[in-house]
Amino acid sequence: MITMAATLAAFAPFPVLEHPPARARTFRVEASQYAYSPGAIRVNPGDTVTIELVSRDVVHGLFVDDYGVSITADPGQTSRLTFVADKAGSFRMRCNVTCGAMHPFMIGKLNVGVNTWLYRSLALAGLAVAASFILFIPKNKIRQETV
Amino acid sequence: MKRTSEQVTRLLVAIFLVGIVAFPVVAWARTTLIHASMAETGGWSPDVIRGNLGQPLHLRFTSDDVMHGFAVGQMDMQAVDIEPGKVSEVTLSFDKPGIYTFYCTRWCGMNHWRMRGTIEISDASEAPTQGSNLEIPLFVSLGLNLDAPHPAEAWPASKPSAQRGMELIQGADIDTYSSTYQSTSPAGMFEKLSTSGWSESQRWDAVAAIWQTNTSTEGLAEGRRLFAQNCAACHGENGDGNGVFAGQLEAAGMASGQGMAGSQDMRMTRPADLTRPDLLGASPALLQGKLLRGGMGTGMPMWGSIFTDEQLWNLVAYLYSFHYEP
Amino acid sequence: MRKLELTRSPFIKKALKSRIPQLIVLVVMLTGFIFAILAGSTGSRVGSQNFGIVFVWIAWWAVLILVAVPFFGRGWCGVCPIPVVGDWLQRGAILDPAARKPKWLKLRVPGRLRNMWIQNLSFTLVALFSSVILTIPLVTSVVLAAMLFLAIGLSMIFERRAFCRYLCPVGGFIGLYSQTSPLELRIKEKKVCARCEGKPCYNGSDLGSGCPWDVFPGGLSKNTYCGLCLECIRTCPHDNIAVNLRPFSEDLASPSGKLDEAFKAFIMLAAAMIYAFVLMGSNGAVKLAAFSIFSPEWFLYAASFLTVMFILLPGTFWLAVQAGNYKLPVTGKRFASASTALIPLGLMFWVAFSLSFVMTNATYIAAVLSDPLGLGWNLFGTAAITWQPLFTAWVLPAQTLVLVGGLFWSARTAWKTSQQVNINPIPVIGLCLLVTVLMLGLLL
Repeated sequence: MITMAATLAAFAPFPVLEHPPARARTFRVEASQYAYSPGAIRVNPGDTVTIELVSRDVVHGLFVDDYGVSITADPGQTSRLTFVADKAGSFRMRCNVTCGAMHPFMIGKLNVGVNTWLYRSLALAGLAVAASFILFIPKNKIRQETV
Repeated sequence: MKRTSEQVTRLLVAIFLVGIVAFPVVAWARTTLIHASMAETGGWSPDVIRGNLGQPLHLRFTSDDVMHGFAVGQMDMQAVDIEPGKVSEVTLSFDKPGIYTFYCTRWCGMNHWRMRGTIEISDASEAPTQGSNLEIPLFVSLGLNLDAPHPAEAWPASKPSAQRGMELIQGADIDTYSSTYQSTSPAGMFEKLSTSGWSESQRWDAVAAIWQTNTSTEGLAEGRRLFAQNCAACHGENGDGNGVFAGQLEAAGMASGQGMAGSQDMRMTRPADLTRPDLLGASPALLQGKLLRGGMGTGMPMWGSIFTDEQLWNLVAYLYSFHYEP
Repeated sequence: MRKLELTRSPFIKKALKSRIPQLIVLVVMLTGFIFAILAGSTGSRVGSQNFGIVFVWIAWWAVLILVAVPFFGRGWCGVCPIPVVGDWLQRGAILDPAARKPKWLKLRVPGRLRNMWIQNLSFTLVALFSSVILTIPLVTSVVLAAMLFLAIGLSMIFERRAFCRYLCPVGGFIGLYSQTSPLELRIKEKKVCARCEGKPCYNGSDLGSGCPWDVFPGGLSKNTYCGLCLECIRTCPHDNIAVNLRPFSEDLASPSGKLDEAFKAFIMLAAAMIYAFVLMGSNGAVKLAAFSIFSPEWFLYAASFLTVMFILLPGTFWLAVQAGNYKLPVTGKRFASASTALIPLGLMFWVAFSLSFVMTNATYIAAVLSDPLGLGWNLFGTAAITWQPLFTAWVLPAQTLVLVGGLFWSARTAWKTSQQVNINPIPVIGLCLLVTVLMLGLLL
């Protein structure tokens, strides 16, 4: 029974509450050692997203996980990246031009719609705890006693 | 007494250990690389390269921190990008002995433009000497004071149109005015045209047209490219002085509290707003002079050894284009 | 579930008893280790193109936390190069068993220090400075060299593997988490050990050193301190030592109840969450604070770091234990035993965190293989490989699986331990759920 619930949580389609119409959105993202500003941007699924990357100190890049699209920008030369956010979820944006020691940790976030995978995972976590109750709760009641 | 297997093992382990220590040390000692790092952490290392006339100079670079690039001033070459951790190469050949300036071509911090070095090319007979280009810059022969303020005596109420101006100047005889392009500011040209009988806005249109005829589409395109790559980071992509380093430059100036006695305080300042009317009070010679000589402590680089004269005039022409419609 | 004795297989037994296979692996590891140290000063200053950084913090770390620890417990310790030079010096030989007894001091580590507290300290120090250690080749090389020379130096002063048992920052958590592994080394029959004279497994003999980990194999019941160095398999005259396959996390059924181990669990759990927040998040100010060591911002970061690790997490755990407690004093032993539930959770937190950053940066391994020192080589043709994250579509589900699995495992441990500790585990399980939710939010 637990397995069924788990499978449901993991794979069942999310009820679509509302479907905001897709629009074109533009974001000005400033990149500096070692963060993006804003650190997170939020769009709706289907939006056409344009990111204007402005480097504030050295050459930086912006690569979007899972989408695989990227641009680079030199200070003084804003670059533009346009793509359609057809995949929903939360995706990390990463710098893809080595820009100093902490470069591997230069990370931002692109949130497209609802982060359904996170909610599924939270549900699964709850289920795991529930399962542990069902499977492992001691048969005899935990009793108080002197040690 | 040790067994043979132990002795053999000791020998093998010793060989491995000596080998693994020797390998990177020898590799490192035998590799000649020019290291690029941000100006704040040393810039080019080494920053003086020596070569001989007639022998191609083969250079290998790596970056120790961020993206850099390499080019030689006033040389027609493709800039070489230097990626952090990777090695790039270039082979240079020189026609004349002398001291050449090389510089970083990818913005690597506020002090990127200070990342320069020299290549000394000697021929067999003598040591190289500085600059065979001994032409006197125009601003010197005109006796212009590069550091004096240059307010415009007048400026247009709305952006002039070079196209309209072209129609105007087709018919009129303005060669006398046009030939003084380099030494006259747009505001000065506007004054000179007061005898033409045109209205004020027409005169500004004419000035714009005169400016446009003194350059070309290719020239403006190069000017735009040079501006984007070299100037926009401080002066802003649209020339308004709000480039990404503007704040840092101003803060550096305030923090240093240094000034140089003279007609103006020479400390790091906010980059000039090139869209302000006072650009119209500056002649092309004045602007070219400022570019050549730089800002004497203000943070404005000197480009004399980097750009050719043609590049500088193209850049100057592009600067004026902030002030008129083509 | 029954145990499967791997050493029943003559092939495995021979391979483990012979010193040669292990020595080959050790020499390879030592070679790599020394190369990593030298890469710090002879190689590129850019971490992503430096053998030291890429092969230690990406390649080796991936193998350690994703394979070695979960499946082989202290298996890495058995092939770790750090103590081997010290071992050779102590034994006076590389391949021969204790042929000569060189005159080293062989002091016993003072009683007060014979615990995990120094390892807790050393790991915390590494964690505080991790931003510069993980990214600057020279710093990594200094840390690695320090560990090597400390280990060798300690071998000349103290008996056995003092560095490994009491100082190594990695060894602390490998030991703690090895309790969950399916691999173990145990004696076969107690009676045989009872009759054994001289106990060469602990005291050494002509066949080998006495346990370098200061463990009496005859009494070994948990994995925590056995470094799988296999000396005892070689010294035991009665062939009474076996390596077994067993169900996961068997050792957790008998909590040690030691406070130093409990704090190791807190340290690891907190560190995983802090790293996820600082390194995997989008807050640039915190990252800069973590990187600019000894600046005011860093001190603030360090203070917060230490507060979460030593006060917040243990404190809330204590409250959870207290909440499930039945009016009996919460002794250190009960508290520590209850913290056993955090062991599988911590391991899974580290696996989940590492999956993300290893898969993101794995392409550097290929690039560095071709050009380990960033000198412009291209040994295998992969030097110019473009960086890109690998398997991104799989990382998220994998992380969920690992974290939820860890939570389930922890809850199970909490239920089982609750009977021994006499507390109601529900608050503890609630805390485990809370931190798992937090970690999911930070990583996904």
